[in-house]
Amino acid sequence: MDQTIYLRLRRRIVVPPEAEITLGDVAVLETGPALKERLASLPLLRVKPADGSLLVIDMLLIVRKIREAWPDAVVETFGEPHVLVEVADGGKVKPRRALLVVAWLVLFFGSGMTIINFHADVDMPEVQKRITELMTGKREWHPWLFQIPYSLGLGLGMLLFFNRLFRRRLNDEPNPLEVEMFMYQENVNHYVITEEYRKQHDAEGGRRRA
Amino acid sequence: MRELLGGIGLAVAGLAGGVAVGSAFVALLIVLDVVPRLVQLTRAYRRSAVFESALLLGTLYWSSADLFRWVTPLPRLSLLLPSALSGIFVGMMAAALTEVLNVIPIFAKRLGLDRFLFALLIAMVLGKMAGSIVDWLLLQPK
Repeated sequence: MDQTIYLRLRRRIVVPPEAEITLGDVAVLETGPALKERLASLPLLRVKPADGSLLVIDMLLIVRKIREAWPDAVVETFGEPHVLVEVADGGKVKPRRALLVVAWLVLFFGSGMTIINFHADVDMPEVQKRITELMTGKREWHPWLFQIPYSLGLGLGMLLFFNRLFRRRLNDEPNPLEVEMFMYQENVNHYVITEEYRKQHDAEGGRRRA
Repeated sequence: MRELLGGIGLAVAGLAGGVAVGSAFVALLIVLDVVPRLVQLTRAYRRSAVFESALLLGTLYWSSADLFRWVTPLPRLSLLLPSALSGIFVGMMAAALTEVLNVIPIFAKRLGLDRFLFALLIAMVLGKMAGSIVDWLLLQPK
């Protein structure tokens, strides 16, 4: 029987506290049907409270566990050599509602103040009157004909940047904010993985993890 | 006729100016990573619409209130909330700006002060707060 096991690790999984993590949780498997189910339920490690909220499972650990159970198995791996495990109650990351409300208000008042700051900084009312005067020859006290389209344009420009306006019809591209959020998360993951490896390496002398 | 053309030209100029300012404003906020940090704090991944709506509504409402003099007759104490919140926002912007410019890590590395990074950060925070209070209460003309 062909004992080659192909596996690709997931990038990031979320588990409840003190969960037993099995191979099926962290990897997508491809092998003979008989072996597949037993492999998927192969326990890798149990999450301990001391592990904190983030830990890394390394490909080496997985290969070691598989070889303990099936010494003559051949393991072929694809993708990243590690999985980031996040420990959260209920096995799901829930948004913090109260903080979300505060964050919304911070952005609402903050962006409002920033735009007024900008208008005051460049003396926007005077500029608007000047443009009105230059284009129509009359100096209006309240150039609403300029101000109303300006305000509409302000919203339009932000929406265009967020890629919200024509999204459904024109493209599936993510907006710059989503890309930036993704990049930020990638950087955090990268840092956590590097840091976890360092910790494991430091602890290697005393006791072995796993 | 001349009147109408002037009016249309003015409206076009206004719209164009608004689009330029609006997209530049959002670009600045995104470059500074303020929003991704808030997303991480609130753990509201994949909900960028919440943050976008806050920025959009905040900018539109306050810009219009400023230009068209929308005055609301609220009691004085109601200022406490927006003032603290906009303080947080400016603080985040300032911190994000120093972070983008890598001021502190370079400083700490050059002077071999890596271990005191937290103390340096606190020094900066306290300095900003002290500076702001001294400025508003003592230096600004009454």
